[in-house]
Amino acid sequence: MTDGQPSLPASGQETGGQQARSPVAGEPGSGGRAGDQSGGDLGALLGQVARGDENAFGVVYGQVCGHVFGVARSVLRDPAQAEEVAQEVLLEVWRDAARFDAGRGTAMTWVMTLAHRRAVDRVRSEQAAADREQRAARADVAYDVVAETVAARLDAERVRRCLGALTDLQQESITLAYYRGCTYREVAGLLKVPVGTVKTRMRDGLIRLRDCLGVD
Amino acid sequence: MSRFRFRRIDPHTLAGAYALDALGEADRVRFERHLSGCPSCDQEARGLREATARLADALVTQPPEGMRERVMAAAVRTRQNPPVSRPDRAAWPARVAKPARGWWPGRRWGIVIAAGVLAIAVAFGGLAFHTQQQLNQERDRSRAIGAVLNAPDATMMTVAATTRGTVTIVMSHRARALVFTSARLPPLPSSQRYELWLMGRTGPRAAGMLPQPRAGMTVPVIVSGLRSGDMVAVSAEPASGASQPTSRMVMKVVLPS
Repeated sequence: MTDGQPSLPASGQETGGQQARSPVAGEPGSGGRAGDQSGGDLGALLGQVARGDENAFGVVYGQVCGHVFGVARSVLRDPAQAEEVAQEVLLEVWRDAARFDAGRGTAMTWVMTLAHRRAVDRVRSEQAAADREQRAARADVAYDVVAETVAARLDAERVRRCLGALTDLQQESITLAYYRGCTYREVAGLLKVPVGTVKTRMRDGLIRLRDCLGVD
Repeated sequence: MSRFRFRRIDPHTLAGAYALDALGEADRVRFERHLSGCPSCDQEARGLREATARLADALVTQPPEGMRERVMAAAVRTRQNPPVSRPDRAAWPARVAKPARGWWPGRRWGIVIAAGVLAIAVAFGGLAFHTQQQLNQERDRSRAIGAVLNAPDATMMTVAATTRGTVTIVMSHRARALVFTSARLPPLPSSQRYELWLMGRTGPRAAGMLPQPRAGMTVPVIVSGLRSGDMVAVSAEPASGASQPTSRMVMKVVLPS
């Protein structure tokens, strides 16, 4: 990878040879993906966090920190900035837990929306853009993708497979926007296709992705 | 030339870009205004947002050392906000107020991204064409796998093979199925593939071929028709598959009952 950051990091570590038996976190709905660490329903935990429960916040941290940091790292590239943004996001989860509304989406989606928006806001600030150009000269970021549980690896694999089932243009539009933080106009410029085409591909690509992932 | 010609385009088509946070500030504000008056658009945007959030599953990265302590310490001294009294439809989650910035990619930045595009193209080089039927099959497979992973009695185990590598199984008696993945099993000559077996009281039953590994790992396969008392086993077989095992098992796993 010439730029040091694969858009879709390859699967990383393995779980080793030991025999381990543990129930898979399997709460239906409410953000319950296979990769969520067991320890409770994320939505219910947010309810406890909203009432100031620090222990519950610790559990929430464990369930989302790898996702939050991963998104920040993907969009911002710089680990120091990524950590800064990830910390801001996690603190926002603590501060605004009472504002999570399960009627509007799953808890994990709420957290990931916070994370992606913050990372994108940061990257679109001019100062950050200047920093990025400087860093691009170095560009030797080692990606350290850790899917600690097999369930998390299966989640990652599923996303890759479903992305792979899109057309090239759908894929590129979606990955440039999500993993790099580009606007659709930037994507259009980069891919040298009309702006309208990019918008349409983003939408129909996400619809396919939604169907493939079985998201309701 | 006006940069934003929002009124002339169908705002519905922006739902994807919106879910991906790929709208500029001005477009986003206008689209959120549109959403607040269009319940079906809002519904669609939410579904796309759920799908978008899953993209993060491919990025899970171990945070730096000490981040947990820093976040927990900061939380203890941070006052929490009360719930919002009136649900603000478009602003879920509430967006951090920020001045609009007219940031546009510079030329060098464009090259950086172009390198990324190349990486994506390489990564997906082998997956250029997919029919709707393939997509449907993929979706059904994802759902079947999800059903096992999310089953209330799902149990996961990782076992070392007798040769090399590991296999990981998530099984559910309730779903009568298991999900099987392997990592770093010894490569086989092209005439051979690994085959899965369910071994029960009536003898071994062929349970499908393991796909070719990518980066040493095989994508998850679903094995259904699981019976109580079954063992799972793997052997190297002719690439076309065998109805009965013809070589020694490279691993056997006794499933919990």
